[in-house]
Amino acid sequence: MNTSTVTLPDNLSALSSQELMRLEKQIADQFMGGLPWGSICWGLGNLVVWLSLWPLTLSGILPLWIAFPIATLNVMLSYLPSHEAQHRIIAQEGDKLFWLNELVGNLSTIPMVLPYEVARLTHLEHHKHTNDPELDPDIGTKAKGPWHSILNSIRNRQPGSKAGAAYGATLQRLGTPAAERAGLIALVFQLSYLAILFTLAWTGHALVAALIWWLPRHIAQTYIQFYLSWAPHHPGTETGRYRNTRSFRSVVGNIGSMGMQFHIIHHLYPRIPLMQTPAAYWALKPVLEARGCQLDGL
Amino acid sequence: MIRAILGPLMKNMPFLFGIGFLAPLTKEVLVLSHVSLGVPPLAIGLVIGGTWGAFATWKGRWI
Repeated sequence: MNTSTVTLPDNLSALSSQELMRLEKQIADQFMGGLPWGSICWGLGNLVVWLSLWPLTLSGILPLWIAFPIATLNVMLSYLPSHEAQHRIIAQEGDKLFWLNELVGNLSTIPMVLPYEVARLTHLEHHKHTNDPELDPDIGTKAKGPWHSILNSIRNRQPGSKAGAAYGATLQRLGTPAAERAGLIALVFQLSYLAILFTLAWTGHALVAALIWWLPRHIAQTYIQFYLSWAPHHPGTETGRYRNTRSFRSVVGNIGSMGMQFHIIHHLYPRIPLMQTPAAYWALKPVLEARGCQLDGL
Repeated sequence: MIRAILGPLMKNMPFLFGIGFLAPLTKEVLVLSHVSLGVPPLAIGLVIGGTWGAFATWKGRWI
């Protein structure tokens, strides 16, 4: 893990806003770059494990009660590697390894039935309009507290939910050819997912389909919306670079919350790899304090 | 054309999900738990899945 080599002045409050920004960028720059092998192996390895559960359970080699928690963990783990790709952290367009970026981005979210292009376009809108009640596609996860967040997540997945249709609405608002294509891919994904579930169910494998995909996906969506969306943006009332996201101390620790304790770093510098955000946070903390960020006990 | 086909399909998707997935899932659970109600398990599954799916289509929510 990187450590900062930038020496901070004794009194940050004596610095002008521009000087503070220069210092902030100087520190942040040290944590960017390099190939995030951890996220690449995580994304592809996680998919391989999840895919292997199908033949193992359908052939009776692996009991469903063992496969179910593994599948749930797989779906929970499937989003973040794609998130690295969405921000071109693995490689940027024109780089030799851009294909790897797109491979991880496209493959890792298959268990979630979330097409990469939909995730990328809507996520970039989330960064652009964080906490904006009209324009942030993730504003529907805003909730009064943890239990309300879980209830809200379930409510947002109901067929008639407006918040549940937010990604589709965002793609429509964007109206670009890429957004139109993403909408079409989302439809193909959704129909394919349902066709696979229905086929498995009517051929005598309904429980396998339910415990390897359908139920794990619901549990994972609740978890992801809780830790990746609600918790780091709570209370979700402010906009602006230093106030739209926070750091927080999670009861399940940094691994249990998938690094989201340090999500404020991601919003300030989206190109810093996930696994570098804790070190970047500790190095930047005095600057964040000087900027009046919400650091909530971390 | 696509919109004309997919529009009604998506609108009625909760009902189709009830028949297409919840019905056989209910049947499998009944068979595995050796519950016998004097009616074929699939018939019970179709009633539960169909009714629940129809409710979700009508109300816009499963619960």
